[in-house]
Amino acid sequence: MREVWAHRELLYFLIWRDLKVRYKQTALGPAWVVLQPLLMALVFTVFMGWLARVPSDGVPYPLFAYAGLVPWTFFSSAVSVAGNGLIAHGPMVTKVYFPRMLIHLALVGVRLTDLLVSFVVLFVLMLCYGVGVRPSILLLPVLVLQATLLAVGIALWFSARIARRRDYATLLPVLLQAWMFASPVIYPARLVPERWRLLYSLNPLAGVIEGFRSALFGLPFDWAGMVTSGAVTLLLLAYSVGSFLRADENLVDII
Amino acid sequence: MRPIVQVRNLCKSYRLGQGQQGGRQGTGRDAVIWALRDVSFEVLPGEVLGIVGRNGAGKSTLLKILSRIVRPTAGEVDIYGRLGSLLEIGMGFHPDLTGRENVYLNGAIIGMSRGEIRRKFDEIVAFSELEKFLDTPVKYYSSGMHLRLAFAVAAHFEPEILILDEVLAVGDAAFQQKCFRKMQDVIQEGRTIFFVSHDSAAVQRLCGRALLIEAGRLKDDGPAETVVKHYLDGAAAAAARD
Repeated sequence: MREVWAHRELLYFLIWRDLKVRYKQTALGPAWVVLQPLLMALVFTVFMGWLARVPSDGVPYPLFAYAGLVPWTFFSSAVSVAGNGLIAHGPMVTKVYFPRMLIHLALVGVRLTDLLVSFVVLFVLMLCYGVGVRPSILLLPVLVLQATLLAVGIALWFSARIARRRDYATLLPVLLQAWMFASPVIYPARLVPERWRLLYSLNPLAGVIEGFRSALFGLPFDWAGMVTSGAVTLLLLAYSVGSFLRADENLVDII
Repeated sequence: MRPIVQVRNLCKSYRLGQGQQGGRQGTGRDAVIWALRDVSFEVLPGEVLGIVGRNGAGKSTLLKILSRIVRPTAGEVDIYGRLGSLLEIGMGFHPDLTGRENVYLNGAIIGMSRGEIRRKFDEIVAFSELEKFLDTPVKYYSSGMHLRLAFAVAAHFEPEILILDEVLAVGDAAFQQKCFRKMQDVIQEGRTIFFVSHDSAAVQRLCGRALLIEAGRLKDDGPAETVVKHYLDGAAAAAARD
């Protein structure tokens, strides 16, 4: 950890590089940060909101979906990019020494800046739908932190596995897809039957995303669920960091 | 004088087939390759140590272990000082970034601080002779320009212990001369340097001492002149046998 801190300038440069080169040769540039979850929200509004008539806790469905997609898009893109980070940075990892974890932190950091941008759009949307901002949004930074820690943890675990076996790289998007449906991204958690609720709240993202909506729209908080999800997040993070550091000893030999 | 680098009984083994597709681990049938076997030596501050040996002898593995990129299978390495290594120049150059941006990025990757890069920036640019192209993305650079910029950053990297792997052979004759002179300056400053090169003449001219590594073992350790001669004689004999 001390080493990561000692290399914080490199972390800054890696994030800066990615932000800088990211949207070269695209016509819309950084607008994609916002467009992607917006388009997804549109798709889900048509199919889930209008066709399937999924309830949305009294919030207009497009806003409901977007508010779920903002944290979800952050999480899933951070995990899929940072999870493949080690092999993507293979040439660098085998030629220069720095704490490997820096790669994951940098890649998640880049997505974090995206998240900030999509927040702006979220607030504009809320304004359009006449949904007022409440003091409960002060909880958002905590939830963002939780999502970040979770993304770092899962990415670390996966990248060590992917370095050894590329099978995990193929598995990752499938898992993320399943994870999205197992999280209250496009439907409210209360649709989950009561007897499955406990199991459901073991999914740490359920607490994050529900918490997100509660904080934004002033819906009641499910404190028990949020505490459970926080605890699961910390456990997963500790396990992943430990497992990554153990694997790290020989990663360079097999990458 | 106390040594600045101590290497004791260093061993590194690689398992062939490790991590490869379809290769299962733990079958115990994978062949083990010893890249380094029982290598021990000490280096004093200010020594310039050449490392020679044939391809695959274990030179790069040794440098990677010294740089902390690879962990040894057995043995110990003690380093008393800030170590920086250049196993490849231009590490992390991004084609879409400008020359100026890449100087900062590459500097940070090899271990320079932002302040250090800013201080030396003008010198680096002057050395590379690329003043006019600083704000051009490096993807539009010729390969020679690319190398010049990369070497310029590398040449201004000043850790106490410097590890160099085959980094001299860049650019045209004039630039190579300039790099060589820069290397001599760096040596004069009393830095400890590990220098791997297939350019035997350069090793003899730049290094005071040399190590000869053969099939993972330390075969010779002594004045660069004699060690290089030993290496060349061995290579000639091997060629004659073939």
